[in-house]
Amino acid sequence: MKYSGITLKKPKVGFFDFTGCEGCQLQITNKEENLKALFGLVEVVNFREISSERRDDYEIAFIDGCITTDSEVARLKKIREQAGILVAMGACACLGGVNNLRSRFPLPDVVKEVYDGHHVDTGPVRKVAEIVPVDIELPGCPISKHEFEWLVRHLVLGIEPQFPKYPVCVECKQRLNSCVLDMGMMCLGPVTRAGCNAVCPRNRLGCWGCRGPSEEANFESLMEILREKGFTEEHIAERVKFFNAFSGILNSDC
Amino acid sequence: MERPPDFNNKSLLMQTEKGFKSEVINIVKLTAQEKLFQIRILGSCEREKFTFLPGQFVMLELPGCGEVPISISSSPSNREFIGLCVRKAGKVTGMLHRLEPGAMVGIRGPLGTHFPMQKMVGRNILLIAGGLGIAPLRSPIYWVNEHRSEYKDITILYGVKEPGQILFDYQFEEWRKIYDLNLLTIVQNPDENWKGKVGLITELFEDISIDPEDTFAIVCGPPVMFKFICAHLADIGIPRQRMFVSLERRMHCGMGKCCRCNVGSTFTCLDGPVFDYWTVMNLKEAI
Amino acid sequence: MLFKTITKENFKKMVEGLLEENEVIGPRSRDQDLEGNKIYRFLKVNSFEELEMDYTRSYSSPKNYFLPFKEDFATYRLEDNNWEQEIRYTVHPRVIIGMRACDINALLKLDQVMLKSVYPNPYYFARRQNTLIIGLDHEPLEDCFCRSMNTDTAFHGFDLFLTDIGDKYFVAINSDTAYIIINQFDAREVTEEDQERFKTVKEQIKSKFKTQVDITILPELMDLEFESEVWKKWGDKCLSCGSCAMVCPTCYCYGIEEDTNLTFTKATKRRFLYSCNLLDFAAVAGGHNFRPEAHIRLKYRYYHQFRGFVEAFNQSLCVGCNRCGKACLAGISPKAVIDDLIKTEKNEY
Ligand SMILES: Cc1cc2nc3c(=O)[nH]c(=O)nc-3n(C[C@H](O)[C@H](O)[C@H](O)COP(=O)(O)OP(=O)(O)OC[C@H]3O[C@@H](n4cnc5c(N)ncnc54)[C@H](O)[C@@H]3O)c2cc1C
Ligand code: SF4
Ligand code: SF4
Ligand code: SF4
Ligand code: SF4
Repeated sequence: MKYSGITLKKPKVGFFDFTGCEGCQLQITNKEENLKALFGLVEVVNFREISSERRDDYEIAFIDGCITTDSEVARLKKIREQAGILVAMGACACLGGVNNLRSRFPLPDVVKEVYDGHHVDTGPVRKVAEIVPVDIELPGCPISKHEFEWLVRHLVLGIEPQFPKYPVCVECKQRLNSCVLDMGMMCLGPVTRAGCNAVCPRNRLGCWGCRGPSEEANFESLMEILREKGFTEEHIAERVKFFNAFSGILNSDC
Repeated sequence: MERPPDFNNKSLLMQTEKGFKSEVINIVKLTAQEKLFQIRILGSCEREKFTFLPGQFVMLELPGCGEVPISISSSPSNREFIGLCVRKAGKVTGMLHRLEPGAMVGIRGPLGTHFPMQKMVGRNILLIAGGLGIAPLRSPIYWVNEHRSEYKDITILYGVKEPGQILFDYQFEEWRKIYDLNLLTIVQNPDENWKGKVGLITELFEDISIDPEDTFAIVCGPPVMFKFICAHLADIGIPRQRMFVSLERRMHCGMGKCCRCNVGSTFTCLDGPVFDYWTVMNLKEAI
Repeated sequence: MLFKTITKENFKKMVEGLLEENEVIGPRSRDQDLEGNKIYRFLKVNSFEELEMDYTRSYSSPKNYFLPFKEDFATYRLEDNNWEQEIRYTVHPRVIIGMRACDINALLKLDQVMLKSVYPNPYYFARRQNTLIIGLDHEPLEDCFCRSMNTDTAFHGFDLFLTDIGDKYFVAINSDTAYIIINQFDAREVTEEDQERFKTVKEQIKSKFKTQVDITILPELMDLEFESEVWKKWGDKCLSCGSCAMVCPTCYCYGIEEDTNLTFTKATKRRFLYSCNLLDFAAVAGGHNFRPEAHIRLKYRYYHQFRGFVEAFNQSLCVGCNRCGKACLAGISPKAVIDDLIKTEKNEY
């Protein structure tokens, strides 16, 4: 493989799922027509979803899901030791994600409620970066196939990927959406990293912040705007905590 | 029902995005961070068309990767190839550094304003460069050499942080002896092999005498540097409109459209990159 | 200029005729805001009934039909060490119905940059040439300040311009194409009565302007108050979200990016509309940002609109539509900011 006369090496990659819905891995495999070209760029040595082959000589590790158990912690640390580049993929791996909602309740209560008291090996929900250093975060719930392909191209070329620094509003306005805040709905678009093409506001849902905060987001201003618009503290807190993307920005008591 | 007329085939406008396809014929590694690319425009006709003046820049494109503004660092009279000195700074420049001779790139240009070499005829010229700022100065240096008898004393002051960052030192002897230029260098953080002067570039002023009545200055380097230097030169009496600086801003189009290179009320790509210091002083956010 | 009248019935027939062959863009509503007002935008219309001629203001300006949010400048075929560039700027003929005087003036301002400058932009030129513009008068809204910006009337830059005078439209005709088209639909000579009605409507429009912005010494003020606290006050609220620039009919800043396909055999060079309010607008390689703070970026947007553009083209860039003010969640509008600047100048704080 060559680009402008530069010989490109196929990196060896592995995919590893932790606690999550595997939606992100599905995103990668579901666009059939591109799959061959995509996997022609890399050598997949470890990907449960598509093959039984398991090798441990990967250079790039893609992690999806959040980390909840001690055995997962150990497994993740081992992957980090092997991988030259570690990519956290999707909201669960990058932020803790939806799973994190659980952290609002005492763990024993959760186990009782969900597993009916059966013994399970589970601990607090943690994002990947809380356990090991992460090189690249590929945001989204689920990730976008388009962005994944873009990332792989960058990895093959050996260029550091630059994600949009600006918030979702830019893309939302470009799609000529009506602003859902004007329509009385809550939206975290002004403080959330763009790149999803504003799918949620497009469908009149308001943004939940699944892609994490945009760079130097002005939370204070948005909170003030939301309060002025009459949203209650509980309502705001519920939204802001949903993906665990904005931890530490709310008053600690809500 | 009638359609509005179709003007698609009538547009005689220049294809602004169409550049000169060029071959990288030689790559000189200058330091760990900088390489000099010698680029030859394909087609003798196109090569003839491409003429520029000292201080102008081109948009250098690697298709699929991106396009970056780079000052031309070779002689305007060299019609065989143009020299571009590129520092590895990010996506495009990083990729350019991995190219081998024979690679094809695109160049759009020449763009921007130039140093007014004609106005300086019969005068002394003081060229001051900090770091990578020496790259755009090579073009006026070649120019004065080729028209050496038209100018009086030529002095070059060149300052860098570390000795390893000095660019084009292989040409210094030639510049001094054959070009008859007075070249002084200074470094901020010397190593054990450095025998020259140590300190900030402004300290080189102690070693030269300037006739403010009869001198033009060209200053290239980081903004903090030219701010101090131009203030000093103004203090000793050089009129601000006889000092020229080259500004650097983020740039995407090079044609005064994308607004990324804006300074105050104007654009670096159209009214610059070469500005006289009076203009710069009066542009908001320029320094 | 040539004037005619056309009945609304015949106008409908004309639009239906245009719809047969052309892509027609016009104001349509999709959602409602909390007060129950319809939210309009310029979209493709498929039948005359979809067109809402009584619309108030489009949420976003129709500029994206001339400067698309994203557009391919060039494509490349890549092979080993070589490549071929292909540039195309062909566009399909298009009709836009219902553009306001301010929007047409906005295009005239964009023309200055895109067509009448050193490097005319062929992509914009192609779109401009292949678009038939039918303008439409309206009574100003509460916050329209186009009159202050001298953009409340359009004298050129359109093909047809309609003023509603009851059962018919009073039409200004500005191009041969439009003249040919409208004459196929029984356009009539202007009668004295039509002229009287036209004058009355225009008088009415004039009397309804409520918002004024004093721009007498605004360019000077922009320099004099460059360090003013006013910028910080509004800048601290700014979300750096770029909504203002996206909806504005004149903001044209952009970025360019290049990318390849998955097999490195094809590449594209794409222009995308950007905003000077976004964090990395003026950031350069190596991490330096020439405008690191929100208030500095906000100030620059105003500086370009009301100072930089004046220096270059002897007119403000802003046309006074207040779309940016409407779209801004933080309540930042030209009226509010400029009034504040004037107040500081007069030391009214
Ligand atoms: C008039 C002018 C002359 C220049 N001359 C030279 C030169 O002779 N040698 C040299 O090494 N460098 C020069 N530069 C700087 C050079 O353009 C940047 O280092 C380069 O654009 C970085 O691009 P990148 O893709 O590697 O970095 P990234 O950070 O990946 O940048 C992405 C994009 O941002 C823009 N950009 C980022 N930084 C700059 C910058 N400093 N200036 C302009 N655009 C930027 C470019 O469009 C670039 O494609 C010059 C800049 C200007 C404005
Ligand atoms: S709907 Fe949300 S993302 Fe869209 S413009 Fe409004 S606040 Fe921004
Ligand atoms: S709009 Fe918000 S919640 Fe929806 S996909 Fe985009 S970032 Fe995620
Ligand atoms: S001024 Fe308003 S619309 Fe514009 S970037 Fe700031 S918050 Fe967004
Ligand atoms: S009022 Fe705002 S949106 Fe309208 S032209 Fe002026 S700056 Fe642009």
